[in-house]
Amino acid sequence: MSDTLRAEVEEWLEAHWDSDNRRAVGTDVYDQKNWLGKVVDAGYATPTWSKSWYGRELKQKEARIIEKAFQKHSAPGWGCDRFHLGAITIYKMGSDALKAELLHTLLTGPICCLLYSEPGAGSDLAGIRTSAVKYGDDFVINGQKVWTSNALEAEYGMLLTRTDFDVPKHQGITFFIFPMKQEGVEVRPINQITGESEFNEVFISNARVPERYIIGEYNKGWKSFQAAIASERLIMGMGVTARAGRSAGSKAPALLRLAHRHGRLSEHALRQEIAQALAYRQLNSLNMQRAVEEIKNNGMSSLMSLGKLSMSRIQHGEARLSAVILGPQVLLNDTQDARHANFDAAKAYMNSIGGGTDQIQRNIIAERILGLPRSKDVDREIPFREVQTGG
Amino acid sequence: MEIFSIEEREAICDTFSRLLGDMAGEQKLRQVIETESGFDAELWEKMSELGLMGIMIDPEHGGIGGSIVEVEALMEQAGEYLYSGPFISTCVIAPTILSACDDDSLASDHLAGIADGTAIFSVAGCGKGGDWSQSPEVQAEQDSEGWSLTGSSGFVSHAAIAKHCLVYAITGGAIDVFLVNMDDSRIEITPHSTDDNALRLSSLTFNGVDAQRLSGVGQEAIGNALQNALVALAGEQVGGARKIFDITIQYMKTRHQFGQPIGNFQALKHMVADLLIELESASSAARHSARSIATDNDDQHLMAFLAGFTCADNFRKISADAIQLHGGIAYTMEHSAHLFWRRAQSGQWLYCSSESLRDMYLKEMEKML
Repeated sequence: MSDTLRAEVEEWLEAHWDSDNRRAVGTDVYDQKNWLGKVVDAGYATPTWSKSWYGRELKQKEARIIEKAFQKHSAPGWGCDRFHLGAITIYKMGSDALKAELLHTLLTGPICCLLYSEPGAGSDLAGIRTSAVKYGDDFVINGQKVWTSNALEAEYGMLLTRTDFDVPKHQGITFFIFPMKQEGVEVRPINQITGESEFNEVFISNARVPERYIIGEYNKGWKSFQAAIASERLIMGMGVTARAGRSAGSKAPALLRLAHRHGRLSEHALRQEIAQALAYRQLNSLNMQRAVEEIKNNGMSSLMSLGKLSMSRIQHGEARLSAVILGPQVLLNDTQDARHANFDAAKAYMNSIGGGTDQIQRNIIAERILGLPRSKDVDREIPFREVQTGG
Repeated sequence: MEIFSIEEREAICDTFSRLLGDMAGEQKLRQVIETESGFDAELWEKMSELGLMGIMIDPEHGGIGGSIVEVEALMEQAGEYLYSGPFISTCVIAPTILSACDDDSLASDHLAGIADGTAIFSVAGCGKGGDWSQSPEVQAEQDSEGWSLTGSSGFVSHAAIAKHCLVYAITGGAIDVFLVNMDDSRIEITPHSTDDNALRLSSLTFNGVDAQRLSGVGQEAIGNALQNALVALAGEQVGGARKIFDITIQYMKTRHQFGQPIGNFQALKHMVADLLIELESASSAARHSARSIATDNDDQHLMAFLAGFTCADNFRKISADAIQLHGGIAYTMEHSAHLFWRRAQSGQWLYCSSESLRDMYLKEMEKML
């Protein structure tokens, strides 16, 4: 089976993809929509999906054969059933009509952004206030979203809204697939403390979304949303695994090379700190290796959930130590070492805040892995309208 | 020596765990540490019957031919039950040293004695500083009669009950290992009082003691013995850490204050979430280092040093926080938490300090530069 499949994909790629020029055979320039359309129609973008929806009903293992062949030929379009959050969510939870209307469009190009967090709803995401009010066949949307990647390019966004303010907070939420290219949607880049701008704020005023674009059910969006972020966490977990594999190489760690370059390896106190920092990184990579083995043997591993929190200590610690190694030189952005140290010190917050702060991670570890009691939210049972706000 | 299959390893660990469940554990420890020798001869005999003493000894010498991977796994059980006995010196360090000795008949006699449980070894591996990576302070001299030892060793465990002692001594510029019989009257044993009464430490003074030089045992064997000892101790620390951690989590689910389990409070949740990282890191380090040694991997020294300081420090951190998380109840002698904490405290200084191991770890890392 696997050999036949490999041969079939190879043959298809040979016939359709010009890997030297990175474009479809017989074309002069790479046309994304056109190429992705071919991949989707051939069933190679989402091979694990049902045959009615661009899939081939293959197992994960077989799907990997397709992915590997595509990677070998540097051909884009593979793995949408693992990485395309928007499409995965619609496939899993959308109505057949919605799938028929949007799935092909989503798979063949437009980036799909995530409209979840708000200035007043970060860790407590169910506290969102962006409202969706029914008006004819549409809903009218007003509110502000934040920390949205790719908002400028995206043609659709996965939008979490409040549709009922008079029920407890988890019960009045509706989840939409939302067209971004319309009046009333304004995207402003956020300037991060690193100097980068990877994220945006999205201001939505009187924008519209058709009722049929609801993902899941009206007022039951929290459930659909949970399923969507489960896919997201899985992707992040896979990232951790891949990184763990890469760091096993034999090259000396960056922090050690930095200390060596600046002649600081003969100082006893500093040696102790450097050794401990290197140890934390190595221990995390050993933990992740163990996680991969456990997943292989038992299908799951609680070790996976420790990776992100461990990484915060590693990144903040290494950044701090880099500055210590450089001494006052770190004040001067003249050298690349200083620029890197300063950048890393700011960038470490990306891990310790983004995707759930360290403090939220600790709650999750304590409650879901160690089985300690779940703390009661004071606003869990009361109508959302009465929830205290501020800050 | 070879790495057992998972099933074989689990079987031997289960057997050991059942034995420890019957004959070791907190109550037993409290009795044993009140005795003069601090040694449970009955348990030692049962362990011998099960073949555990020969875990690292080849079958031709009466052992079961396991590797350090099996030792590490057994030591996790030992740590869980607060086992205290001369297992590491007798069954880990001595076989590592003796196997490197090229006097076959000498080595095989002693290996057989270890395997059948009749020979208990202590090891005098360091001077008054207590650090095995530093030079010993015993001098060995040779005359027409043979070798004799002069000088002192510190921090020798189980000297009072040992039949033999391996002594690290300076010969000219090198360090060699010598075998002495503990019934030699020219060995002066000075037992010390220890904060952890489960740990029996003595200073040994040698006044021209007759000794057999173990030919063929040099720097490499001494290094291997140290790394095996570190990994065995690391396994014990992981077992102890996991046990006291589990006890603490259970307590947080059942102890109520302010009308709720104390495990409800975020301040405590965050402490234990952090401790879980330390616990799993220690487990990964101990197990990975054992495997690295058993497969003769290039990074075996690095991994043994990493496991050494990580498991020592993390057991100490977990057991210390366990007392804090329990509150007043764990400030009593009756509660078990301090037994784990004392074991962790003392483990921090056996063989090499964490400080010393971190430096050795960094030196290994520097080889990559």
